[in-house]
Amino acid sequence: MSVETASARLQRLLAMVPWIAAQDGPTLDEVGQRFGISQEQLADDLAVMWLVGLPPYTPDALIDVVQEGDRVWIHFAEVFAQPQRLTPDQAVALLSAGASVLALPGADADGVLAKGVAKLAAVLGVDADQVLDVDLGGSDPEILDALRRAVREHRRVHLDYWSYGRDTRTERDVDPYLVHAEDGALYLLAHCHRAGGERRFRVDRINRAVLLDETFEPPVEAAAPARVFQADADDPRVTLRLAPEARWVLDAYPIEGRTELEGGGVEVTMAIAAEPWLARLLVNLGPHVEVVDAPDELRDAGRRAAERVLARYR
Amino acid sequence: MSADKLERLLNLTALLLDTPRPLTAEQIRDQLEAYPDEQASFRRAFERDKAELRAMGIPIEVSDLTDHMPAVEGYRIPREEYALRDPGLEADELAALHLAASAVQVEGVSATAGLLKLGGLVGAGQDLGVHVAPLPADPNLPRLFAAVAGRHPVTFGYRGEPRTVDPYRLEFQRGRWYLTGYDHDREDERNFRLDRVEGEVAVTDGPRFEPPSTAVPGQARGAWELGAEPPVQARLRIDGPGARWAVQHLGPDKVVEQLGDAVVAELPVTNRAAFRSFVLSFLEHAEVLEPPELRAEVVEWLEAQA
Repeated sequence: MSVETASARLQRLLAMVPWIAAQDGPTLDEVGQRFGISQEQLADDLAVMWLVGLPPYTPDALIDVVQEGDRVWIHFAEVFAQPQRLTPDQAVALLSAGASVLALPGADADGVLAKGVAKLAAVLGVDADQVLDVDLGGSDPEILDALRRAVREHRRVHLDYWSYGRDTRTERDVDPYLVHAEDGALYLLAHCHRAGGERRFRVDRINRAVLLDETFEPPVEAAAPARVFQADADDPRVTLRLAPEARWVLDAYPIEGRTELEGGGVEVTMAIAAEPWLARLLVNLGPHVEVVDAPDELRDAGRRAAERVLARYR
Repeated sequence: MSADKLERLLNLTALLLDTPRPLTAEQIRDQLEAYPDEQASFRRAFERDKAELRAMGIPIEVSDLTDHMPAVEGYRIPREEYALRDPGLEADELAALHLAASAVQVEGVSATAGLLKLGGLVGAGQDLGVHVAPLPADPNLPRLFAAVAGRHPVTFGYRGEPRTVDPYRLEFQRGRWYLTGYDHDREDERNFRLDRVEGEVAVTDGPRFEPPSTAVPGQARGAWELGAEPPVQARLRIDGPGARWAVQHLGPDKVVEQLGDAVVAELPVTNRAAFRSFVLSFLEHAEVLEPPELRAEVVEWLEAQA
C-alpha cells in the first residue's frame, strides 16, 4: 500500500464528505474517480466517517453514511456542509494553470476555462486578469494551431524559419513530435529533414508552417529535453571579461566557467553556437565587454558587426 | 495516519467548527474523549493536532477567555474563515480547470487538493496539445498571492535594502516570476524579480491598501517601456530574417508600415539603453529612423566599437 500523507487523506475527506452529502446517492465508482482513489481506499474512508460527529457521539449525533448497492448517501453532515477554503498555494496552482492556458495564443477568452477561472477568482476575492498573469510564450495563433494539429495527426510540416543564432531564414520539412513550453517560450521538437536529426525550433521564429500530406511514425516517447540550449563539444568557446554593468549575462546564458574579478567584473567562458549570436552580444554590451580569448575568426566579430550596422546609418 | 488519529482530527475539526463559543483545552478533552487522560501527554497530542490542522490551512482561532480565573486560551474555527464560498462552477468549467491544472503545474505545489475542494477531478484524459514544463516554484509565491488577494502591504529585502510594497500583481514572464507593486520607499510603482527577493516576505497587519484604479501594466511590455526617462516616440525599420518575428513580437498595432518583408514600427521609449539593445539584436537588419537624437546615440555607441 502506498503511503499517503496524513493531511492528504484528511483534506480529501473534508472535500469528499460535503460533495457526497450534496448529491442524491452518487455511485461509489463516480466518487472514487472524482476523488482519485480506489474502491478499497473509498471503503476505508467511509468507514472512518461512521465514527465522526459531534458530542455526545451517540448514534443520533454521528454523521450517517448509507450504502445501498453501488450508491452512497451521507446525511447529518451539516457541520461539514462546505468544503474547506483553498489555501494560497492551491489558489496559486489553480489560477496559474488557468492563466497559462488562457494565455496560449488562440485561446478562447470567453470559453469554459475563462468562465471557470473568473468564478474561482471571484470567490478568492480577486480579479483574475488584474492580479495574476502567466506568459508561456508568444506565437502566431494560426501557426501554433497548425503545429498542434500536425503533432496530433503525425503530419509532416514545411517551415519557414528564422535561425536566430545564425541570423538566416531557411526553408525545411520537419516531422513534429511535440510542442513544448519552457522558460517563457514555445518550442517545436521535430525531426528535421534538412539537418537530418532532431532539432528544436522556437515557435515565435517560425514565419510560416504548411501542413503537408505526408505522415510519419512518431518516436515511441518524445520527451522534452531538460535544457533548451545544449552546447556541442565542438562548438567554439570564447572567454569574455564582463564589466559590472554586464553581469546580467550570467543569468541570461549558459556559462561554462567564471572567475570573479576585482571591482565587480567577472570573466566567463561560454560556448558559441554561431558568429551572429556572439556579434549581437558584443555589440549590445559595447564598452562593458572585452574579448579575452576566442578562435581567430571570432575575435573581431563585434567590431565587424558594428561596422556593418554603422554602414546603414551613413 | 492511523484510522484513530484521522477520526480524532475529523471530530476535533467538527467540534471546533460547531461550537458557538471558544472551547478551552480541558473542555475539548472532556467532550472529545479521544485524548489521553494524563495532562502532559494530552497537551502534546493536542498541540500536534492543532499544528497539523493549521498546516492544512484550517484557521484555528485563539482567544483569551476572561470569564475563567485565571484567563485561559479558548479555541474555535470560525466558519466564515474555514468554508469555501461555492463558486458555482458548471461541470464543464471544472473539467476545463482540471485539464489546465493537469497541463500546467507549479513546481512543488499540487492543484489536486484544490480541485477536490471544488468538486473533484472530472473530465480528465484530454490533451492540451502543448507540453508545458512545470513553472518554477518560488517559496514566497503563495504568501505573496495571499497578500495580493487580501490587499496587505508586504515587506522584504531587495538588493540589500528593506522594501515596503503594496503588492498589485504577480506575473510569470520570460521564465521568471515577477511582482509589480507600489514601493513605499521609492514612492512609485516597481517590478521585482521574486528570485531576487532576499529571504521571506513578511505580510504586515497594517491597514489594507486600495488597489490601483487603472490596470497595472506590469512586465508584459517591451523592455524599452520599463524605465523612467522622458518618453519619446521612436521610429524603427526592421528588415531581413527577423522582420516577421518582430511584427508578431511587437504586435500589429505598433507596425505603421509593411513593405514586403520590411516593417516600420513606432515604439514609446522610456528606457533608451533597452531600446538600443533591442535594435541592435537585429544587427544590420534594423535602423533607428527617428528621432535624430536616438539615431545619434546608436551611431555613437557603434562608433566606439568599430
